[in-house]
Amino acid sequence: MDTLINLMDGLAAALTPQNLMWAFLGVLLGTAVGILPGMGSAMAVALLLPVTFRLDPTSAFILFAGVYYGGMFGGATTSILLNTPGQASSIATTYEGHKMALKGRAAQALGTAVIGSFVASIIGTLVVALFAPVMVAFALNFGPGEYFALTVFSFVAVAAVVSGSVLRGVTSLLIGLAIGMVGIDAQSGTARFDFGSSSLLDGVDIVIVTVGLLALGEVLYIAARGKSAPDFAAIRTGRPWLGRKDLRRSWKPWLRGTAMGSAFGPIPGSGAEIPTFLSLGLERKLAERRARRKGVKNEFGEGAIEGVAGPESANNSSAAGTMVPLLGLGLPTSATAAIMLAAFQQYGLQPGPVLFERNADLVWTLLASLLIGSVLLLVINLPFAPLWAKLLKLPKPYLYAGITLFSVLAVYAINTSVTHLVMLLVIAVLGLVMRTFGVPVAPALIGVVLGPIAETEFRRALAASSGDPSILVASGISVGLYVLVAVAAVVPLIGYLRKRRAATRVIDVQEPTEKV
Amino acid sequence: MSPKGTDETTTAETEASETVETTESTVSPGTEETSVNTAETTAVDPETTAWSGPAAWVVPALAAILGLVAVWGAFTIEAPPNATRPGPGAFPGAVGALLLVAAVGMSVVNLRNAGSGTASAPLAWFEGRPVVLVLAGLVVHTALLEFVGWLFAGALLFWIVAYAFGARAYLRDAIVALSMSAAVQVGFSLGLGLNLPGGFLELVL
Repeated sequence: MDTLINLMDGLAAALTPQNLMWAFLGVLLGTAVGILPGMGSAMAVALLLPVTFRLDPTSAFILFAGVYYGGMFGGATTSILLNTPGQASSIATTYEGHKMALKGRAAQALGTAVIGSFVASIIGTLVVALFAPVMVAFALNFGPGEYFALTVFSFVAVAAVVSGSVLRGVTSLLIGLAIGMVGIDAQSGTARFDFGSSSLLDGVDIVIVTVGLLALGEVLYIAARGKSAPDFAAIRTGRPWLGRKDLRRSWKPWLRGTAMGSAFGPIPGSGAEIPTFLSLGLERKLAERRARRKGVKNEFGEGAIEGVAGPESANNSSAAGTMVPLLGLGLPTSATAAIMLAAFQQYGLQPGPVLFERNADLVWTLLASLLIGSVLLLVINLPFAPLWAKLLKLPKPYLYAGITLFSVLAVYAINTSVTHLVMLLVIAVLGLVMRTFGVPVAPALIGVVLGPIAETEFRRALAASSGDPSILVASGISVGLYVLVAVAAVVPLIGYLRKRRAATRVIDVQEPTEKV
Repeated sequence: MSPKGTDETTTAETEASETVETTESTVSPGTEETSVNTAETTAVDPETTAWSGPAAWVVPALAAILGLVAVWGAFTIEAPPNATRPGPGAFPGAVGALLLVAAVGMSVVNLRNAGSGTASAPLAWFEGRPVVLVLAGLVVHTALLEFVGWLFAGALLFWIVAYAFGARAYLRDAIVALSMSAAVQVGFSLGLGLNLPGGFLELVL
């Protein structure tokens, strides 16, 4: 009950006209970047970071929360209308969603996506509000050794699970860790990798890294793809609408999707992709079973509304779920969360148990603002989804020129320093190289944000034990986390071996038929 | 955070792969990629395509160079005498060593792919001209920003990038560029109190 009272207090604090405006702006912006391909909420939050320096933390986080939720929904719009997922979390929606649009049921697909996102955000946020304090109570027992184990766990999970290739994921993570080492070492005050430049003594600002890798790197990548880049021709859509029959078919997938998203959101490295695909798979299996048992027609493959309702609610509730470890432990589990952690740090706040104790009002306001964000999501998107799709008709040259302009602005605004622009250029080229060669950038971002934390905790632990390394495995929590690290490292390996075996089996089966 | 949670991840992985394999029959089961990424781009997934040709060595070389710099740093960083151990060099040393291991790993993959001849050239689609143009625009902007001011440096950047992306209505582009740049400058100084350099306009006004 305490939780609910706190949440109500937070709601009261968040419901100022000014904050509502920021939430509105955030959802608007988030939906826009979610719709535009190649841009996600992570990039939008990164571009907003310097702008929000001048806001108070509450307003800034309300803005970010709006962007996060809006981005999740915006991706669905293009998935359904264009078969082009704006970001990875909406890939699962394309399969059934676009087929529905082709059958003239775009309005229903958008409707179930919006309302599903809304339901999922509300439930997901309540789950966060209930579980974040539990996480905090758990985290109060954490010492430097446990925190180090936790960072190692997220490194391995992010690098191994999220990326298509483990080797490239690990390389990306290491590049991020290397960038994070530049500057004055927090423990001893020694200058590291400054190469004689006084600007580098402060380290490479996280804004430069995110804007360079995500925004500008993307612009360069699209430029390099030239004519092979996706193009968006005419699309038609109606106003999102759900009839009674569709509503009846949608509500269970919404709840199932929400449950999956909430379960996976807090797990480092699982991201939004896994729960969305899991939900799509579950809905398909259930539809098959319904067809077998009750003779209800299985529409999967031809545009089943369940295949939109499930994944869409899963991705929004997983967005809420990532807030649990972010607020409770200070552990980002997605690129957007990593940038939000950086934002907390800019305000001198360190998420985790201490934040809950010292800035409890801020935390509850943030959680309440997630609720406001969900309501605004519904209000903005239910009537205006067709309008949003028009965004894709924006001339491409102006769109990318605009992104470039804002990237430069965001970085220059940090400290009005031209040196930062030079650093941005270098990082952007790095981003282009990584993208061109298919090295994922999300692990690098997590590395930049978490690397210094990992190092500090590691050295603090060893300093506390006067150099005795056994402190790293001194508690059950850290041992448990290292076991999870081992599992996270082994799981993709098993998957790889299984696929390889499956592949050889397929070849075995095919060969005889070819001979005949 | 419980062991059960990881089990769920496992099933998620496998379920996800089943999902994709059934929906996209074009995906050959032999490709060694996780399904989630298979669907990311409809044509080829850059995250799992093998590299070939000279370009294949760009990322391994990058990792190796970064690794060498980090290891070099580990040995040359001078810890203050009162510093606790492990000192400031330990972490760079470890990261550097791992980067070198990753570089070696990628080289081995490259060599194996070169032998089997299955890899595709990653740069077949790469168009250098627009990239160079955008980069040139950024360099010019960086160089000019504090001399000519945000308004013109920003507009020039916008115009060059638009040109690189194929905009050819020069006058209209210039007008759009100037209005964008002006809107940003006004919005930022009025709304957020952030002063962007005015350049020579400051002298005139």
